[in-house]
Amino acid sequence: MIETSSPSPVITVSGAGIRFRRNRRGRRSFKDLFAGAKRRSLPNEFWPLRRIDVTVHAGESIGVVGRNGQGKSTLLKLVAGVMLPDEGRVEVHGGVAPLIEITGGFVDDLTVRENLTLTAGLHGMTRAEIDARFDEMIDFAELADFIDTPYKHLSSGMKVRLAFSVISRLEEPILLVDEVLAVGDKGFREKCYARIDELLAGGRTLFFVSHNERDLKRFCTRGLYLDKGALVLDAPIDEVLAAYNRDYGSTP
Amino acid sequence: MLVTFASPARPPRTPAQVYRQTLWLLTTRDLRVRYSTSALGYLWSVLDPLVMAGIYWFVFTQIFDRSVGQEPYIVFLLAGLLPWVWFTGAVSDSTRAFIKDAKLVRSTRLPRSVWIGRIVLAKGIEFVLSIPVIALFAIIMGAPLTWGVLWLPLAILLQAVLIVGIGLIVAPLVVFFRDLERAVKLILRFLFYASPIIYGLADLPDGLELWGSFNPLAGIITLYRASFFPELLDLRAVVIAAIMSLVLLGIGVLVFRRTVRAVLKEI
Repeated sequence: MIETSSPSPVITVSGAGIRFRRNRRGRRSFKDLFAGAKRRSLPNEFWPLRRIDVTVHAGESIGVVGRNGQGKSTLLKLVAGVMLPDEGRVEVHGGVAPLIEITGGFVDDLTVRENLTLTAGLHGMTRAEIDARFDEMIDFAELADFIDTPYKHLSSGMKVRLAFSVISRLEEPILLVDEVLAVGDKGFREKCYARIDELLAGGRTLFFVSHNERDLKRFCTRGLYLDKGALVLDAPIDEVLAAYNRDYGSTP
Repeated sequence: MLVTFASPARPPRTPAQVYRQTLWLLTTRDLRVRYSTSALGYLWSVLDPLVMAGIYWFVFTQIFDRSVGQEPYIVFLLAGLLPWVWFTGAVSDSTRAFIKDAKLVRSTRLPRSVWIGRIVLAKGIEFVLSIPVIALFAIIMGAPLTWGVLWLPLAILLQAVLIVGIGLIVAPLVVFFRDLERAVKLILRFLFYASPIIYGLADLPDGLELWGSFNPLAGIITLYRASFFPELLDLRAVVIAAIMSLVLLGIGVLVFRRTVRAVLKEI
Protein backbone atom coordinates (compact mmCIF):
# COMPACT_ATOMS: atom_id res chain seq x y z
CA MET A 1 0.00 0.00 0.00
CA ILE A 2 2.76 2.42 0.85
CA GLU A 3 4.51 3.43 -2.32
CA THR A 4 8.00 2.32 -1.56
CA SER A 5 8.67 2.22 -5.26
CA SER A 6 8.72 6.02 -5.57
CA PRO A 7 12.06 7.03 -6.97
CA SER A 8 12.83 9.90 -4.62
CA PRO A 9 11.23 11.03 -1.36
CA VAL A 10 9.13 14.20 -1.29
CA ILE A 11 9.97 15.02 2.31
CA THR A 12 13.27 14.22 3.98
CA VAL A 13 13.74 15.18 7.60
CA SER A 14 17.22 14.25 8.76
CA GLY A 15 18.46 14.83 12.29
CA ALA A 16 16.23 17.86 12.58
CA GLY A 17 15.87 19.70 15.86
CA ILE A 18 14.61 23.05 16.99
CA ARG A 19 15.42 24.95 20.13
CA PHE A 20 13.18 27.26 22.11
CA ARG A 21 13.68 29.45 25.10
CA ARG A 22 11.89 28.34 28.18
CA ASN A 23 10.97 31.80 29.34
CA ARG A 24 9.80 33.95 26.49
CA ARG A 25 10.50 37.15 28.30
CA GLY A 26 14.02 36.14 29.09
CA ARG A 27 16.71 38.68 28.47
CA ARG A 28 18.34 38.45 25.13
CA SER A 29 21.74 39.77 24.37
CA PHE A 30 23.10 40.66 20.99
CA LYS A 31 25.73 37.97 21.39
CA ASP A 32 23.07 35.38 21.99
CA LEU A 33 21.12 36.47 18.94
CA PHE A 34 23.98 36.40 16.49
CA ALA A 35 25.66 33.30 17.81
CA GLY A 36 24.16 31.21 15.02
CA ALA A 37 22.87 27.67 15.14
CA LYS A 38 25.98 25.86 16.27
CA ARG A 39 26.48 27.09 19.80
CA ARG A 40 25.74 24.84 22.75
CA SER A 41 22.34 25.04 24.43
CA LEU A 42 21.91 27.25 27.40
CA PRO A 43 20.27 26.02 30.59
CA ASN A 44 17.06 27.97 29.97
CA GLU A 45 16.49 26.40 26.59
CA PHE A 46 14.78 23.21 25.58
CA TRP A 47 14.33 21.19 22.43
CA PRO A 48 10.70 20.52 21.55
CA LEU A 49 12.04 18.32 18.76
CA ARG A 50 15.42 16.75 18.38
CA ARG A 51 17.09 14.18 16.14
CA ILE A 52 14.02 13.54 14.04
CA ASP A 53 14.48 11.38 10.95
CA VAL A 54 11.55 10.86 8.63
CA THR A 55 11.42 10.07 4.94
CA VAL A 56 8.13 10.46 3.13
CA HIS A 57 7.38 9.29 -0.39
CA ALA A 58 4.80 10.69 -2.75
CA GLY A 59 1.26 9.56 -2.03
CA GLU A 60 1.82 8.54 1.58
CA SER A 61 -0.61 9.76 4.21
CA ILE A 62 0.94 10.25 7.58
CA GLY A 63 -0.74 10.84 10.91
CA VAL A 64 1.22 12.49 13.70
CA VAL A 65 0.28 11.30 17.19
CA GLY A 66 1.37 12.50 20.59
CA ARG A 67 0.27 14.30 23.72
CA ASN A 68 -0.03 18.06 23.79
CA GLY A 69 3.29 19.85 23.63
CA GLN A 70 5.29 16.94 22.27
CA GLY A 71 6.23 18.76 19.07
CA LYS A 72 3.54 17.66 16.63
CA SER A 73 2.69 21.10 15.35
CA THR A 74 6.32 22.13 15.39
CA LEU A 75 7.15 19.21 13.11
CA LEU A 76 4.39 20.30 10.78
CA LYS A 77 5.73 23.85 10.76
CA LEU A 78 9.20 22.63 9.92
CA VAL A 79 7.81 20.70 6.97
CA ALA A 80 5.74 23.72 5.94
CA GLY A 81 8.90 25.80 6.00
CA VAL A 82 7.42 28.42 8.31
CA MET A 83 10.04 27.53 10.91
CA LEU A 84 13.65 26.66 10.28
CA PRO A 85 15.47 23.88 12.13
CA ASP A 86 18.38 24.77 14.42
CA GLU A 87 20.14 21.55 13.57
CA GLY A 88 19.69 18.91 10.91
CA ARG A 89 17.84 19.39 7.67
CA VAL A 90 14.31 19.43 6.37
CA GLU A 91 14.01 19.04 2.62
CA VAL A 92 10.70 19.31 0.85
CA HIS A 93 10.41 18.70 -2.86
CA GLY A 94 7.29 20.20 -4.29
CA GLY A 95 4.80 22.74 -3.14
CA VAL A 96 3.01 22.61 0.17
CA ALA A 97 -0.60 23.48 0.92
CA PRO A 98 -0.52 24.26 4.65
CA LEU A 99 -3.78 24.14 6.58
CA ILE A 100 -2.05 25.80 9.52
CA GLU A 101 -3.46 28.96 11.08
CA ILE A 102 -5.42 29.14 7.89
CA THR A 103 -7.33 32.33 8.55
CA GLY A 104 -4.11 34.17 9.36
CA GLY A 105 -3.59 35.72 5.97
CA PHE A 106 -6.91 37.46 5.68
CA VAL A 107 -7.32 41.19 6.03
CA ASP A 108 -10.36 42.49 7.89
CA ASP A 109 -10.95 45.53 5.75
CA LEU A 110 -10.81 43.83 2.37
CA THR A 111 -13.73 42.02 0.77
CA VAL A 112 -14.07 38.27 0.38
CA ARG A 113 -13.10 38.56 -3.27
CA GLU A 114 -9.96 40.60 -2.53
CA ASN A 115 -8.98 38.32 0.33
CA LEU A 116 -9.40 35.21 -1.76
CA THR A 117 -7.29 36.59 -4.59
CA LEU A 118 -4.63 37.76 -2.15
CA THR A 119 -4.36 34.54 -0.15
CA ALA A 120 -4.41 32.30 -3.20
CA GLY A 121 -1.71 34.45 -4.76
CA LEU A 122 0.45 34.40 -1.63
CA HIS A 123 0.27 30.63 -1.63
CA GLY A 124 1.54 30.56 -5.17
CA MET A 125 -1.50 30.46 -7.46
CA THR A 126 -1.11 32.43 -10.63
CA ARG A 127 -3.61 35.04 -11.72
CA ALA A 128 -5.04 32.76 -14.42
CA GLU A 129 -5.45 29.87 -11.98
CA ILE A 130 -7.23 32.10 -9.49
CA ASP A 131 -9.64 33.31 -12.16
CA ALA A 132 -10.28 29.76 -13.35
CA ARG A 133 -10.98 28.40 -9.87
CA PHE A 134 -12.62 31.46 -8.34
CA ASP A 135 -16.25 30.33 -8.68
CA GLU A 136 -15.41 26.86 -7.52
CA MET A 137 -13.69 28.15 -4.39
CA ILE A 138 -16.58 30.49 -3.59
CA ASP A 139 -19.10 27.68 -4.12
CA PHE A 140 -17.18 25.34 -1.89
CA ALA A 141 -17.04 27.96 0.87
CA GLU A 142 -20.78 28.63 0.34
CA LEU A 143 -20.11 32.35 0.20
CA ALA A 144 -21.67 33.22 -3.15
CA ASP A 145 -23.84 35.90 -1.54
CA PHE A 146 -20.95 37.51 0.32
CA ILE A 147 -18.36 38.06 -2.40
CA ASP A 148 -18.19 41.80 -1.83
CA THR A 149 -18.71 41.73 1.93
CA PRO A 150 -15.78 42.94 4.03
CA TYR A 151 -14.05 39.96 5.60
CA LYS A 152 -14.56 41.28 9.13
CA HIS A 153 -18.33 40.91 8.77
CA LEU A 154 -18.14 37.17 8.17
CA SER A 155 -18.91 34.73 10.96
CA SER A 156 -15.99 32.69 12.24
CA GLY A 157 -17.41 29.60 10.54
CA MET A 158 -17.51 31.41 7.22
CA LYS A 159 -13.91 32.54 7.68
CA VAL A 160 -12.71 28.99 8.16
CA ARG A 161 -14.76 27.84 5.18
CA LEU A 162 -13.19 30.45 2.97
CA ALA A 163 -9.71 29.56 4.17
CA PHE A 164 -10.14 25.83 3.73
CA SER A 165 -11.62 26.32 0.33
CA VAL A 166 -8.62 28.31 -0.88
CA ILE A 167 -5.88 26.18 0.62
CA SER A 168 -7.43 22.88 -0.44
CA ARG A 169 -7.62 24.20 -4.01
CA LEU A 170 -3.92 24.99 -4.26
CA GLU A 171 -3.21 21.77 -6.19
CA GLU A 172 0.07 21.38 -4.39
CA PRO A 173 1.44 17.84 -4.07
CA ILE A 174 1.76 17.99 -0.27
CA LEU A 175 -1.09 18.78 2.11
CA LEU A 176 -0.47 19.65 5.76
CA VAL A 177 -3.43 19.59 8.13
CA ASP A 178 -3.21 20.77 11.74
CA GLU A 179 -6.45 20.17 13.64
CA VAL A 180 -8.28 22.80 11.64
CA LEU A 181 -11.13 20.44 10.99
CA ALA A 182 -12.24 20.65 14.60
CA VAL A 183 -14.01 23.89 13.73
CA GLY A 184 -16.95 24.40 11.44
CA ASP A 185 -20.31 22.66 11.53
CA LYS A 186 -20.82 18.99 10.87
CA GLY A 187 -21.98 19.44 7.30
CA PHE A 188 -18.96 21.45 6.31
CA ARG A 189 -16.62 19.08 8.14
CA GLU A 190 -17.97 16.24 6.04
CA LYS A 191 -17.32 18.29 2.94
CA CYS A 192 -13.75 18.93 4.05
CA TYR A 193 -13.22 15.24 4.69
CA ALA A 194 -14.59 14.40 1.26
CA ARG A 195 -12.23 16.96 -0.24
CA ILE A 196 -9.23 15.45 1.58
CA ASP A 197 -10.27 11.98 0.40
CA GLU A 198 -10.41 13.32 -3.12
CA LEU A 199 -6.94 14.85 -2.82
CA LEU A 200 -5.54 11.61 -1.40
CA ALA A 201 -7.08 9.65 -4.25
CA GLY A 202 -5.35 12.09 -6.59
CA GLY A 203 -1.98 11.01 -5.19
CA ARG A 204 -1.33 13.87 -2.78
CA THR A 205 0.93 13.39 0.20
CA LEU A 206 -0.79 14.11 3.51
CA PHE A 207 0.70 15.15 6.82
CA PHE A 208 -2.04 15.10 9.43
CA VAL A 209 -1.96 16.18 13.06
CA SER A 210 -4.97 15.21 15.14
CA HIS A 211 -6.14 13.91 18.46
CA ASN A 212 -9.07 12.18 16.83
CA GLU A 213 -8.43 8.46 16.41
CA ARG A 214 -11.24 8.04 13.92
CA ASP A 215 -9.91 10.73 11.63
CA LEU A 216 -6.39 9.38 11.85
CA LYS A 217 -7.59 5.90 10.91
CA ARG A 218 -9.71 7.26 8.12
CA PHE A 219 -7.00 9.23 6.33
CA CYS A 220 -3.65 7.83 7.35
CA THR A 221 -1.75 4.69 6.56
CA ARG A 222 1.41 5.48 8.41
CA GLY A 223 1.82 6.98 11.86
CA LEU A 224 4.51 8.97 13.63
CA TYR A 225 4.45 8.91 17.42
CA LEU A 226 6.19 11.84 19.03
CA ASP A 227 6.97 11.86 22.72
CA LYS A 228 9.23 14.21 24.71
CA GLY A 229 10.62 15.72 21.54
CA ALA A 230 11.70 12.45 20.01
CA LEU A 231 10.22 10.20 17.38
CA VAL A 232 9.48 7.02 19.33
CA LEU A 233 7.64 5.03 16.69
CA ASP A 234 7.30 5.21 12.92
CA ALA A 235 4.96 2.41 11.85
CA PRO A 236 1.55 1.70 10.28
CA ILE A 237 -1.08 3.90 11.89
CA ASP A 238 -2.84 1.06 13.76
CA GLU A 239 0.37 0.04 15.50
CA VAL A 240 1.17 3.64 16.37
CA LEU A 241 -2.27 4.25 17.84
CA ALA A 242 -2.03 1.01 19.81
CA ALA A 243 1.34 2.01 21.24
CA TYR A 244 0.06 5.46 22.10
CA ASN A 245 -3.01 4.07 23.86
CA ARG A 246 -0.84 1.60 25.73
CA ASP A 247 1.42 4.40 26.99
CA TYR A 248 -1.24 6.86 27.94
CA GLY A 249 -4.22 4.61 28.42
CA SER A 250 -6.75 6.77 26.62
CA THR A 251 -7.92 7.51 23.15
CA PRO A 252 -5.70 10.06 21.45
CA MET B 1 -1.80 -0.68 -7.16
CA LEU B 2 -2.02 2.15 -9.60
CA VAL B 3 -0.48 5.29 -8.27
CA THR B 4 -1.99 8.47 -9.60
CA PHE B 5 0.08 11.52 -9.07
CA ALA B 6 -1.10 15.03 -8.52
CA SER B 7 -2.50 16.67 -11.60
CA PRO B 8 0.36 17.93 -13.73
CA ALA B 9 1.76 20.90 -11.90
CA ARG B 10 2.16 24.28 -13.52
CA PRO B 11 5.62 24.89 -14.87
CA PRO B 12 7.73 25.55 -11.78
CA ARG B 13 8.32 29.22 -11.21
CA THR B 14 11.71 30.64 -10.48
CA PRO B 15 12.34 32.14 -7.04
CA ALA B 16 12.55 35.55 -8.68
CA GLN B 17 9.07 35.17 -10.14
CA VAL B 18 7.69 34.05 -6.81
CA TYR B 19 9.36 37.00 -5.12
CA ARG B 20 7.99 39.48 -7.62
CA GLN B 21 4.47 38.12 -7.39
CA THR B 22 4.41 38.12 -3.58
CA LEU B 23 5.98 41.55 -3.36
CA TRP B 24 3.40 42.96 -5.71
CA LEU B 25 0.47 41.24 -3.98
CA LEU B 26 1.47 42.50 -0.55
CA THR B 27 2.22 46.00 -1.79
CA THR B 28 -1.09 46.39 -3.54
CA ARG B 29 -2.78 44.92 -0.48
CA ASP B 30 -1.21 47.61 1.71
CA LEU B 31 -2.23 50.38 -0.65
CA ARG B 32 -5.72 48.96 -1.10
CA VAL B 33 -6.26 48.70 2.65
CA ARG B 34 -5.07 52.26 3.11
CA TYR B 35 -7.33 53.67 0.41
CA SER B 36 -10.37 51.51 1.10
CA THR B 37 -10.59 52.62 4.72
CA SER B 38 -10.11 56.35 4.28
CA ALA B 39 -12.29 58.80 2.44
CA LEU B 40 -9.45 61.05 1.32
CA GLY B 41 -7.30 58.13 0.18
CA TYR B 42 -4.53 59.36 -2.07
CA LEU B 43 -4.76 62.88 -0.68
CA TRP B 44 -3.31 61.72 2.63
CA SER B 45 0.03 60.79 1.11
CA VAL B 46 0.23 64.33 -0.27
CA LEU B 47 -1.34 66.18 2.62
CA ASP B 48 1.32 65.26 5.16
CA PRO B 49 4.31 66.71 3.30
CA LEU B 50 2.17 69.60 2.09
CA VAL B 51 1.19 70.71 5.59
CA MET B 52 4.76 70.32 6.80
CA ALA B 53 6.06 72.32 3.85
CA GLY B 54 3.44 74.99 4.52
CA ILE B 55 4.52 75.31 8.15
CA TYR B 56 8.24 75.54 7.37
CA TRP B 57 7.62 77.93 4.51
CA PHE B 58 5.64 80.20 6.84
CA VAL B 59 8.16 80.02 9.66
CA PHE B 60 11.23 80.54 7.53
CA THR B 61 9.99 83.08 5.04
CA GLN B 62 7.33 85.04 6.94
CA ILE B 63 8.60 84.99 10.53
CA PHE B 64 12.35 84.53 10.28
CA ASP B 65 14.50 85.88 7.51
CA ARG B 66 15.47 82.88 5.55
CA SER B 67 19.21 82.65 5.04
CA VAL B 68 19.33 79.03 3.91
CA GLY B 69 18.09 77.14 0.89
CA GLN B 70 17.13 78.54 -2.47
CA GLU B 71 14.43 80.55 -4.09
CA PRO B 72 11.60 79.51 -4.53
CA TYR B 73 11.90 78.10 -1.05
CA ILE B 74 8.68 76.08 -1.17
CA VAL B 75 10.02 74.06 -4.13
CA PHE B 76 13.37 73.65 -2.40
CA LEU B 77 11.56 72.46 0.71
CA LEU B 78 9.26 70.01 -1.04
CA ALA B 79 12.17 68.47 -2.94
CA GLY B 80 13.57 67.45 0.44
CA LEU B 81 10.33 66.79 2.29
CA LEU B 82 8.68 64.38 -0.13
CA PRO B 83 11.64 61.94 -0.12
CA TRP B 84 11.85 62.38 3.65
CA VAL B 85 8.22 61.30 4.03
CA TRP B 86 9.05 58.13 2.07
CA PHE B 87 12.12 57.53 4.22
CA THR B 88 10.54 58.13 7.59
CA GLY B 89 7.32 56.30 6.71
CA ALA B 90 9.11 53.20 5.49
CA VAL B 91 11.63 53.09 8.33
CA SER B 92 9.04 53.55 11.06
CA ASP B 93 6.70 51.02 9.41
CA SER B 94 9.50 48.50 9.17
CA THR B 95 9.68 48.42 12.97
CA ARG B 96 6.31 46.66 12.76
CA ALA B 97 7.04 44.64 9.62
CA PHE B 98 6.85 41.25 11.33
CA ILE B 99 4.61 42.11 14.27
CA LYS B 100 1.78 43.50 12.18
CA ASP B 101 1.57 40.47 9.92
CA ALA B 102 2.66 37.89 12.47
CA LYS B 103 -0.12 35.49 11.57
CA LEU B 104 0.71 35.58 7.90
CA VAL B 105 4.42 35.20 8.57
CA ARG B 106 3.61 32.18 10.73
CA SER B 107 1.45 30.47 8.14
CA THR B 108 3.15 31.02 4.78
CA ARG B 109 6.51 30.11 3.38
CA LEU B 110 7.24 33.38 1.65
CA PRO B 111 10.72 34.76 1.17
CA ARG B 112 10.99 36.64 4.47
CA SER B 113 12.66 39.78 3.17
CA VAL B 114 9.42 40.42 1.29
CA TRP B 115 7.99 41.80 4.54
CA ILE B 116 10.41 44.69 4.31
CA GLY B 117 10.39 45.00 0.55
CA ARG B 118 6.67 45.49 0.43
CA ILE B 119 6.84 48.42 2.87
CA VAL B 120 9.58 50.13 0.91
CA LEU B 121 7.69 49.60 -2.34
CA ALA B 122 4.29 50.73 -1.03
CA LYS B 123 5.75 53.91 0.46
CA GLY B 124 7.83 54.40 -2.69
CA ILE B 125 4.73 54.26 -4.85
CA GLU B 126 3.09 56.86 -2.66
CA PHE B 127 6.20 58.99 -3.04
CA VAL B 128 6.10 58.73 -6.82
CA LEU B 129 2.42 59.62 -6.75
CA SER B 130 3.24 62.74 -4.75
CA ILE B 131 5.71 64.05 -7.35
CA PRO B 132 2.94 65.96 -9.23
CA VAL B 133 2.60 68.18 -6.15
CA ILE B 134 6.12 69.52 -6.49
CA ALA B 135 5.64 69.88 -10.24
CA LEU B 136 2.56 71.98 -9.55
CA PHE B 137 4.42 74.28 -7.17
CA ALA B 138 7.34 74.55 -9.57
CA ILE B 139 4.97 75.77 -12.28
CA ILE B 140 3.18 78.21 -9.95
CA MET B 141 6.42 79.62 -8.51
CA GLY B 142 8.21 79.61 -11.84
CA ALA B 143 11.06 77.26 -11.01
CA PRO B 144 12.28 75.88 -14.34
CA LEU B 145 12.96 72.18 -14.65
CA THR B 146 16.59 71.55 -15.61
CA TRP B 147 18.62 68.69 -17.09
CA GLY B 148 19.22 67.72 -13.46
CA VAL B 149 15.95 65.81 -13.53
CA LEU B 150 17.95 63.02 -15.17
CA TRP B 151 19.36 62.29 -11.70
CA LEU B 152 15.90 61.41 -10.41
CA PRO B 153 16.05 57.64 -11.18
CA LEU B 154 19.42 57.37 -9.43
CA ALA B 155 18.04 59.25 -6.43
CA ILE B 156 15.08 56.89 -6.17
CA LEU B 157 17.28 53.82 -6.58
CA LEU B 158 19.77 54.96 -3.91
CA GLN B 159 17.01 55.81 -1.50
CA ALA B 160 15.35 52.43 -2.03
CA VAL B 161 18.66 50.65 -1.37
CA LEU B 162 19.15 52.73 1.77
CA ILE B 163 15.69 52.06 3.15
CA VAL B 164 15.78 48.34 2.39
CA GLY B 165 19.12 48.13 4.19
CA ILE B 166 17.84 49.94 7.26
CA GLY B 167 14.61 47.93 7.22
CA LEU B 168 16.50 44.64 7.13
CA ILE B 169 18.39 45.71 10.24
CA VAL B 170 15.51 47.24 12.17
CA ALA B 171 12.66 44.81 11.44
CA PRO B 172 14.14 41.62 12.95
CA LEU B 173 15.82 43.40 15.87
CA VAL B 174 12.56 45.04 16.98
CA VAL B 175 11.09 41.57 17.47
CA PHE B 176 13.62 40.98 20.26
CA PHE B 177 14.16 44.48 21.54
CA ARG B 178 10.80 46.21 21.57
CA ASP B 179 12.42 49.38 22.92
CA LEU B 180 13.95 49.80 19.51
CA GLU B 181 10.58 50.81 18.16
CA ARG B 182 10.56 53.96 20.24
CA ALA B 183 14.25 54.52 19.77
CA VAL B 184 13.74 54.52 16.01
CA LYS B 185 11.03 57.18 16.31
CA LEU B 186 13.38 59.36 18.33
CA ILE B 187 16.25 58.86 15.92
CA LEU B 188 14.00 59.72 12.99
CA ARG B 189 12.98 62.98 14.62
CA PHE B 190 16.63 63.83 15.20
CA LEU B 191 17.52 62.82 11.67
CA PHE B 192 14.93 65.17 10.22
CA TYR B 193 16.86 68.17 11.49
CA ALA B 194 20.23 66.53 10.95
CA SER B 195 19.47 66.03 7.27
CA PRO B 196 19.53 68.85 4.74
CA ILE B 197 15.76 69.11 4.30
CA ILE B 198 14.83 72.56 5.54
CA TYR B 199 18.32 73.74 4.65
CA GLY B 200 20.87 72.68 2.05
CA LEU B 201 24.07 70.73 2.55
CA ALA B 202 26.06 73.79 1.53
CA ASP B 203 24.45 75.80 4.35
CA LEU B 204 26.24 73.73 6.97
CA PRO B 205 29.21 75.47 8.61
CA ASP B 206 32.58 74.66 7.03
CA GLY B 207 33.94 71.43 8.37
CA LEU B 208 30.52 70.06 9.19
CA GLU B 209 29.72 69.72 5.51
CA LEU B 210 31.90 66.64 5.05
CA TRP B 211 30.52 65.02 8.19
CA GLY B 212 27.02 65.86 7.09
CA SER B 213 27.67 63.98 3.86
CA PHE B 214 28.03 60.74 5.80
CA ASN B 215 24.32 60.94 6.34
CA PRO B 216 23.31 59.19 3.11
CA LEU B 217 20.14 61.28 2.93
CA ALA B 218 22.29 64.36 2.29
CA GLY B 219 23.65 63.11 -1.03
CA ILE B 220 20.32 61.63 -2.03
CA ILE B 221 18.47 64.90 -1.41
CA THR B 222 20.97 66.88 -3.47
CA LEU B 223 20.19 64.46 -6.30
CA TYR B 224 16.48 65.17 -5.95
CA ARG B 225 17.06 68.92 -5.77
CA ALA B 226 19.19 68.79 -8.91
CA SER B 227 15.92 68.75 -10.88
CA PHE B 228 15.40 72.43 -10.02
CA PHE B 229 18.68 73.50 -8.45
CA PRO B 230 21.49 71.78 -10.39
CA GLU B 231 24.07 74.04 -8.75
CA LEU B 232 23.32 72.32 -5.41
CA LEU B 233 24.41 68.93 -6.72
CA ASP B 234 27.30 67.73 -4.57
CA LEU B 235 28.95 64.77 -6.26
CA ARG B 236 31.17 64.00 -3.30
CA ALA B 237 28.09 63.69 -1.10
CA VAL B 238 26.40 61.52 -3.72
CA VAL B 239 29.33 59.10 -3.86
CA ILE B 240 29.44 58.92 -0.07
CA ALA B 241 25.66 58.36 0.01
CA ALA B 242 25.95 55.53 -2.51
CA ILE B 243 28.72 53.84 -0.52
CA MET B 244 26.87 54.29 2.77
CA SER B 245 23.65 52.93 1.31
CA LEU B 246 25.36 49.85 -0.09
CA VAL B 247 27.21 49.25 3.18
CA LEU B 248 23.95 49.51 5.12
CA LEU B 249 22.32 47.10 2.68
CA GLY B 250 25.19 44.66 3.20
CA ILE B 251 24.90 44.90 6.98
CA GLY B 252 21.14 44.54 6.65
CA VAL B 253 21.43 41.33 4.64
CA LEU B 254 23.85 39.87 7.20
CA VAL B 255 21.75 40.83 10.22
CA PHE B 256 18.60 39.57 8.55
CA ARG B 257 20.09 36.20 7.59
CA ARG B 258 21.49 35.72 11.04
CA THR B 259 18.31 36.55 12.93
CA VAL B 260 15.47 35.31 10.74
CA ARG B 261 15.46 31.83 12.33
CA ALA B 262 14.94 33.32 15.76
CA VAL B 263 12.36 35.79 14.46
CA LEU B 264 10.19 32.96 13.17
CA LYS B 265 10.20 31.36 16.61
CA GLU B 266 9.52 34.56 18.47
CA ILE B 267 6.52 35.98 16.63
